[in-house]
Amino acid sequence: MRLTRRQTFQAATAAAGVMLLAACGGGTGAGSAGQASSASGSGSAAGGAKTTISLMAAEYSKDNTKAFWDAFAKTYNEKYGHNLEVNVVSWDNIDQQSSTQIQNNQPPDILNLNAYASYAKDGLLYTSDEVLPAEVKSDILETFQKYGTYDGKFYGFPDLSSARALFYNTDLFTKAGIAGPPTSWAELEAAATKIKAGGNVGYALPLGPEESQGEFSMWLFNNGGDWKTDGKWTINSEQNLKTLTFLKGLATKGLTQNNPAKTNRADAFDLFKSGKAGMVIGFSPLAGDLDKDAKVKYAVAPFPSGDGSDSKTFGVTDYLMAFKKPGNTEAVKAFYELYYSKDQINTFIEKEGFLPVTKSGVEYFSTNQKLKVYLDTLPNARLTPTDDPTWDKIKLAVQQNLGAAITGDPKEVLDKLQKTAEAGG
Amino acid sequence: MALGSSDRSVGTASPASGVPLTRQRGRHTGVGRAHPLVALLWLSPAIALIAGIVVFPSVMLFQASRSRYSITGLRRGEAGWDNYANVLTHPDLPVVLRNTAIWVVAVVALTVVISLALAQLLVKDFPGRRVVRWAVIVPWAASLVITSQIFVLLYDYNYGLINHVLTTIGLRSESIDFLGDDRLTMASMVVVGVFVSLPFTTFVFIAGLNAIPDEVVEAAQVDGASGWQRWRMIILPLLRPALMIASVLNVIYVFNSFPVIYTLNDRNPGFSHDTMITFMYKLAFKSQEKDVGMSAATGVINVLLILVVVVVYLKVINWREETR
Repeated sequence: MRLTRRQTFQAATAAAGVMLLAACGGGTGAGSAGQASSASGSGSAAGGAKTTISLMAAEYSKDNTKAFWDAFAKTYNEKYGHNLEVNVVSWDNIDQQSSTQIQNNQPPDILNLNAYASYAKDGLLYTSDEVLPAEVKSDILETFQKYGTYDGKFYGFPDLSSARALFYNTDLFTKAGIAGPPTSWAELEAAATKIKAGGNVGYALPLGPEESQGEFSMWLFNNGGDWKTDGKWTINSEQNLKTLTFLKGLATKGLTQNNPAKTNRADAFDLFKSGKAGMVIGFSPLAGDLDKDAKVKYAVAPFPSGDGSDSKTFGVTDYLMAFKKPGNTEAVKAFYELYYSKDQINTFIEKEGFLPVTKSGVEYFSTNQKLKVYLDTLPNARLTPTDDPTWDKIKLAVQQNLGAAITGDPKEVLDKLQKTAEAGG
Repeated sequence: MALGSSDRSVGTASPASGVPLTRQRGRHTGVGRAHPLVALLWLSPAIALIAGIVVFPSVMLFQASRSRYSITGLRRGEAGWDNYANVLTHPDLPVVLRNTAIWVVAVVALTVVISLALAQLLVKDFPGRRVVRWAVIVPWAASLVITSQIFVLLYDYNYGLINHVLTTIGLRSESIDFLGDDRLTMASMVVVGVFVSLPFTTFVFIAGLNAIPDEVVEAAQVDGASGWQRWRMIILPLLRPALMIASVLNVIYVFNSFPVIYTLNDRNPGFSHDTMITFMYKLAFKSQEKDVGMSAATGVINVLLILVVVVVYLKVINWREETR
């Protein structure tokens, strides 16, 4: 998941790193499996000893992320005496940097990423029993506990979440004579057709490699499908095929923007922000951008259902995972204790414009009317199977292949993904 | 280069260094020779540099290419030649190789042809020549990522300047999808590739043209050669060294070009418009393989590939010279 809108300069830093990589051709890697040789810092024996731990955090926004973590590190130091080295990395770069650090046997103590299961599978992470205070664990919403659990143990501690909903341009809707947001897929198609007649894009459909698994998740959850059902992969199920065929239909009828298979989410958002698209699946940061621009009149509604059941939302969470290193347990524990304290986590989530992951957080944000449409659905949000390490690869396979269904055969695309998943990625 | 220049410094600098022993040695062994240890001392910075930034990474790269990695980057043990086998049997490899060939040949050929014309123009004296020369350098000075990003904006389907102009003046009723239409993606990228390669190549040719003595051209003129004949029979052959340097350096440079393709192709899923370099990157971080080992193996293959291409090219050039 890329939570931030991609920006030119992020791309610039990414490419700078990449050129370095290209120069030495794929990075080095002499580290071997097993434990990291030594934790940064010293004290391991005495509980009160001062330790330095490192955090690699993903950059959600230029303005807030670094400022928050710097202030956090200061409080952390004042309260516990340990030091926290903060390293904020852009989403474009973070996979590469964390992977390189692990190759070199120098992982950060805490890593903030959109996946954790592969790391748990490799035996690199602490479980909740080792580092998460009990009262924190019981405060985390059950949904997120469930998806953060690999092999019976809780490894993926959520830092924040988001939930998707349908954004529609009320000006375009009024102009096209549409009464309200669609509640079924047939209505959605009808609305898109009317908007298209006015010369605009009916529905902005991003199936490009940036995050096509997110877009497709929202659709398939609302048509009775899922990626995995009862522990078995069901990517090429009947319902999913119907869903993908419907999306292909939208594209071939010209109700979407040009070339949806090659449109990234950021580009679809740009279309909506410029007032050229009638509908798009969005989340709270998009609302934040729209409010700031104050250019487009829009409203947010639950996503319409394809099979007549209640609307479901696709939830996303990122993780703060802790790497096992000798002597860092106490400092890591203190980190979580502080992060999950109400004034820290809620400040962070509020500043970044996302949604809470704790029960106390839901309570804290419940007064915010703008977030109501998401918060109501959050406890029942459906997530992608992030608890399965195989998903870490399937996600990439979906990103690189799903778009092919728009010009090709949806069944073939889904069958191939299913086969990849059954083979364990 | 580094080695060459410090080699020279052994000859010139050591007698001047003021150490009597060195001077004596110098006298005994003749001009330009130095005691091996002294030579080593002078060479050591260069050797350290080469060991640090060439040899060490190469060894690590090779080691990585023979290792098995988890998706997290954790090394899981030896892989033998498996990574190489996986790369060579990758279903998309033929497409990637074809793209690489098209990309390198098209960009280098167009660059050389256009640069020749540009250089010819820029050696002529005309008012404002200095300004034009500066203008040619600009794309070279700008960061490749920024340049590519500007082209993404120019090419854009919805807001792009090019499409805006085309539809406004009525040449097209609909926008052209320069970066999303499979038939146009490579061509659109080649345009950018040529654009960023022109400055360097043009200046190599300007230097080459300035080195051609006026007398030769004048003599040809006196003998009655037409303008085209003069260029074809006199100037072009004399430009051969410049042409060779420009094309070899460009082949290497264009082959290794990452930012242009990565930026312009970023919306396209799969490997259908990737070259070996972006293929290598995607194998490590973006594709479903997400395998550092396979990526490292591709890195080794890339080095061998470019080596072979350059050696073959140089052989062909020599062969032509000998048969003339």
